[in-house]
Order: sequence, then structure tokens, then C-alpha cells
Amino acid sequence: MILMMAWRNIWRNKSRSMIIIFSIMLGLFAGLFVVAIYKGMLRSKVRSVIDREVGHLQIHQSKFKEDYLAEYVLPESTALVDITQLPEVKLTTQRSITNGMLSTATGSAGVTILGIVPNEERAISQLAEKIIEGDYFTEKIRNPVMVGRKLARKMKLKIKSKLVLTFTDSTNSIVSAAFRVMAIYESENTPLDERNVYVFRDDLNKLLGIGSSVHEMVVLLNRDEDLDRVTKEIQGMVPSLQVDTWKNLSPETELMVDTTNEYSYIILVIIMLALAFGIINTMLMAILERTRELGMLVALGMNKVRLFFLILWETVFLTMVGCPFGLLFSWLWINYLNRNGVDFSRFGEDMMSSFGFTNVIYPEFPYDNVIVIFLIVVITAILSSLFPALKALKLQPVEALRK
Amino acid sequence: MMKNDTVIDAHNISKIYNPETIPVFAVNDVHLHLNRGEFTALVGPSGSGKTTLLNLIGGLDRPDTGNILINNIDITKLSANKLITFRLNHIGFVFQSFNLIPVLTARENVEMIMHLQKSQRMDRDTRIKQLFEEVQLSDKIDSRPSQLSGGQQQRVAVARALASKPQFVLADEPTANLDSKSASNLLDIMAKLNTEEHITFLFSTHDQRVIDRARRVITLVDGKIVSDTLPTSTA
Repeated sequence: MILMMAWRNIWRNKSRSMIIIFSIMLGLFAGLFVVAIYKGMLRSKVRSVIDREVGHLQIHQSKFKEDYLAEYVLPESTALVDITQLPEVKLTTQRSITNGMLSTATGSAGVTILGIVPNEERAISQLAEKIIEGDYFTEKIRNPVMVGRKLARKMKLKIKSKLVLTFTDSTNSIVSAAFRVMAIYESENTPLDERNVYVFRDDLNKLLGIGSSVHEMVVLLNRDEDLDRVTKEIQGMVPSLQVDTWKNLSPETELMVDTTNEYSYIILVIIMLALAFGIINTMLMAILERTRELGMLVALGMNKVRLFFLILWETVFLTMVGCPFGLLFSWLWINYLNRNGVDFSRFGEDMMSSFGFTNVIYPEFPYDNVIVIFLIVVITAILSSLFPALKALKLQPVEALRK
Repeated sequence: MMKNDTVIDAHNISKIYNPETIPVFAVNDVHLHLNRGEFTALVGPSGSGKTTLLNLIGGLDRPDTGNILINNIDITKLSANKLITFRLNHIGFVFQSFNLIPVLTARENVEMIMHLQKSQRMDRDTRIKQLFEEVQLSDKIDSRPSQLSGGQQQRVAVARALASKPQFVLADEPTANLDSKSASNLLDIMAKLNTEEHITFLFSTHDQRVIDRARRVITLVDGKIVSDTLPTSTA
């Protein structure tokens, strides 16, 4: 009987109930959407880090990452060749790297100079796809260099602009060489665009005096799931070298992956607070409007526990109506956006790329979080109804009947 | 010691509003004794304390002084929760403005009381059928209050008041919102219930039609009983 009364009571004032149902729908949608966007951003970030920045894993001399000295080259080893033959390995490339200074007539900037093999790099980091101006590496000009958009703007560089790269070679002598900008690129990671410049590996090796040696081997796997196992295997093959996964090379990304749920739930709690106040307000109105009736129920012999549950059930029913619609709406909308993407560039050109994200995010419906989010919304709704329900318990029948 | 047929025995009951500032005696040292089967009207001008006295006897409010014994139980000493249960099982209420639950049908409004008493489904069905026959509304049993006239709603309220098989029914101005025909019809039903089933009724009223039908009339002025015409007969 109490359940039936509660169910019918919620339809007494349809507009008010619809407001609560809509609030619950919106709360659930907001919660799921935030998590979906966050998941989409993270997936995009992880893919970007693996496919366009560092690969699945990298191999260096163990001291190389400390100060990027030219002398710390990878040893000549058949193991490195064997790594390329592993069935889990999709692609590899080898780079020479040094830190140095880029100078132009207008100024100078610290840069990381990457000596690459263009064809391999095209496949492993999709470098050619990032070009927004100019042409990918050609032999037509001497000492070509590819710079990021942000660095180009800062240093006022254009296609064919001349610049000087200065760094220390393998004998710790300072060397300088003139390069000419043949392409400007733009990636999803603006800070890297400002720092990394790409040159032919042979050009850099000549200047560094390291012959055909390299400092870094980048490995891209066929499947992300093989990472831990293959890392162990490769480490076993080259025990004296340092093998880093993308998680070590991009710890901020790893941290983001690890804290996805925590961040999402913090945002969710903020959304739920707004929802809670909405429900409290509306349910209080519903109770004040029925003061006389509730007082009459107590007068006739309905005890306060039953009265409390009557109010509580009303909120539970509103939640039970709102949640399925909220879930359905969220699923439809998030899947639509998953196919079409959400372009954040309209809110600011560098808004996302400044943090290493792509401008277009493809939200992912958080199937694994949906039960937790659903429970958070239901619990929020029920907790919000406690205050109005407790308020109803304080009703004195004789006073309520006078209203 | 109360006699076996005593239903209400109230002693020295007073209800004082604003006791700290300007005390107003809504009910002032009232003694009231009601036997089973009485059909009594509580009359008096507005503000004389009729509704307050009814609320005190019905356990909806607590007196500042005195005791109210109903079936030998002093309801002034019951806790709030026990008082709710006591009201459910011993007292029937009929209010001036019917106070039916709008989302329930006539049947459900009556059944709710039996449901609160946790009575069996079969007992409920039998009792509901009987009650609706008594209030002559068997054909309206599944109607919502909004589909009923005022008189019909008040008859449903009477059926609801009787649903718990109470010792007595307190009716606060039951005919005040009814036209003459409906009021007369309602009074006929209540009088019949009183005569045939010995149900005790205590009304607060201004309505001469109710006063004319009552077998005992208690007059209140300024919270005090100023006259009490004893029952001409008791069932």
C-alpha cells in the first residue's frame, strides 16, 4: 500500500516530478559524459604517446637519459637485430639524439635534435602526417630540418629559413651547423613541438662524430597487451641496456591512466551535489504542499517509520524512472559523439594540445563504470530525500491538520 | 474504577496556549464521561474549544493538565509512537474537509487503515464490502475522491473511520461542508450505525441538524462545559 501510494504520489504534480526525473537523468548523463570524455581523452593521449611520440618501448644506453651525451651510443649487437625479428614487434627505428641550441637572427632556443631515418619515422611516429607546411624530408636541399609550429612562430621561422644548430659532439667539442627549414609540423603535444627538431640521422651523426651509431631504438608492438611480456623478453636480450616502456617515458600519461576513476569521481561528486540540492528543494516543496495530508495520515495511525519510507520511496521511484532514461540518453549521445568526435578546437586552438591531447576527442561510454555511477546517482537521490523525509517526521498531526 | 461500558473518561483536562505570556485556556478543567453507544454533540460558539477538546480526546494533542482514559488506558501517558498505534486501533476520525487521500480510490482509502493494522486480506475484503454497504456507496467503491461528491466523500471518510473497528468515532464538524441532503443522508447513516452497531459518536458541530439528532448535547463556552444534557437513551 505504501509503495502504491508513493508511486501515485509522484504523479500528482507531473511537472514537479518531471523536473526531478530530468535532474536525475541530467545528473546521470553528466556523470557518464564526464567519464566518457575523460576516457576518450586518455585513450587519445595513450595512442598519441605510443603511436606518435615514444612507441611502446625504447632502448638506450643506461646513462644516456641522464645528460644526453653523444658518446652513449647503443653498442653494435646482434640482439638489437633479433629484437626487430620478434613476432610481437611491428616496427622499429633507430635515432640519434642530442640536446643543443637553435639560433636564428632573431634569437635562440634550447632544442632536442632527433636524427631520424625518414621512411622508418613516417611509419613509426607518423611524422609526415603532422606536417602543416612544407615537404617531408627530401634530398633536394642540404641539411634539412623540420621544426614544430610553436617553435617556428617563436623563432619567426618559415619554410627555407636558415637556422644554426649548436651542440657538443662525441669528443665534447662544440659544433655548429647551418640547417634550412623544409617543413613545419604540428602534433597533439605542443610542448614537444616547441622542443623537438628533426634532421637526417646521417647529417646529425656526421656532426656528432659517431659514425653509423645511434642513441635510441624505438619499438612499436602489434598489440598493447604484449607490452609487459615483451619488455621482459627484450630486457633479457639486452641486459646491459635500459629498456623503458611508454609508461616510464611518459609518466604523466601513466599517472593520468591510473587516476582516471579518481578524477572522474571527484567531478561526479560535484555534479551530484548540485543534483542533491535540486532534489532536496523539490521534495521539500512536495512535503510542504502535503503537510495537511501527511498530518492526517499520522492522525489516522500511520507511524513515522511508514511515513518516512513513503517519502523515501517517492524519491526512489523518481530515481528508478529517471535513471533508465538517463542511461539510454547517455548511451545514445555518447555513442553518437564516439563516432563523430567532439572538436575542442572551437574553444581554443591550443586548449587541448597544450596538455598533449588531440583537439578532437572521441568519448567512450564507460561500461565498466556505469554501475558505480548509477549507484552514486541513486544513493545521492536517496540521501537527498532523507532531509525532507526527516522534516515530515517532525509533523505534529494537530498542527498539520490546521494548515 | 470505570464501568465496563465507559469509553471516555476525562478528568480536569486543560489546554493552555501561551502559558508564559498571556495564557489562553482553550480547554479549562473539563470533565467528560462517555459511555459506549452514545451519540453526542459537542456544541458552542467558534473558539469555545470544541475542536481542541476533540483533539485532546483523540490523542492528537496533549493536555497541559488532567488525564484522559480511553478503555481504561491513560492516553496522556503514552509515548508518541504508542499514541499513534492507539489512535489506529481505538479511535476513528471524521474531519470537516473529508481528508481522503486523493491518489487512492474510495476502497483503498478505507483499506489503508486495515493495512496499517496488518489485517488479513480476506478480512479486509469482507469488512470493506460491509462498510461500503453501510455507507451506501458500494457502486462507488473504485472511484477516486475527485470523482465523488462532498457527501459521498464524507461517507467514505465514515467508512474509513470505522475500518479499524474503533471504540468510538470523533467527528469534527462532519456536515459543515455538505448540503442539506448530503448532511441528512450522512446523519442517517451515522445514526443507524450508532443504533444498530452501538458505535459511539462524538461530534463537534454548529449544525442544528446534528444537534437535533444527538441524544446528548454538551455545550462549551470559553473552554468550559456550561451544560450537558444527559442521554435520553443509550443503546
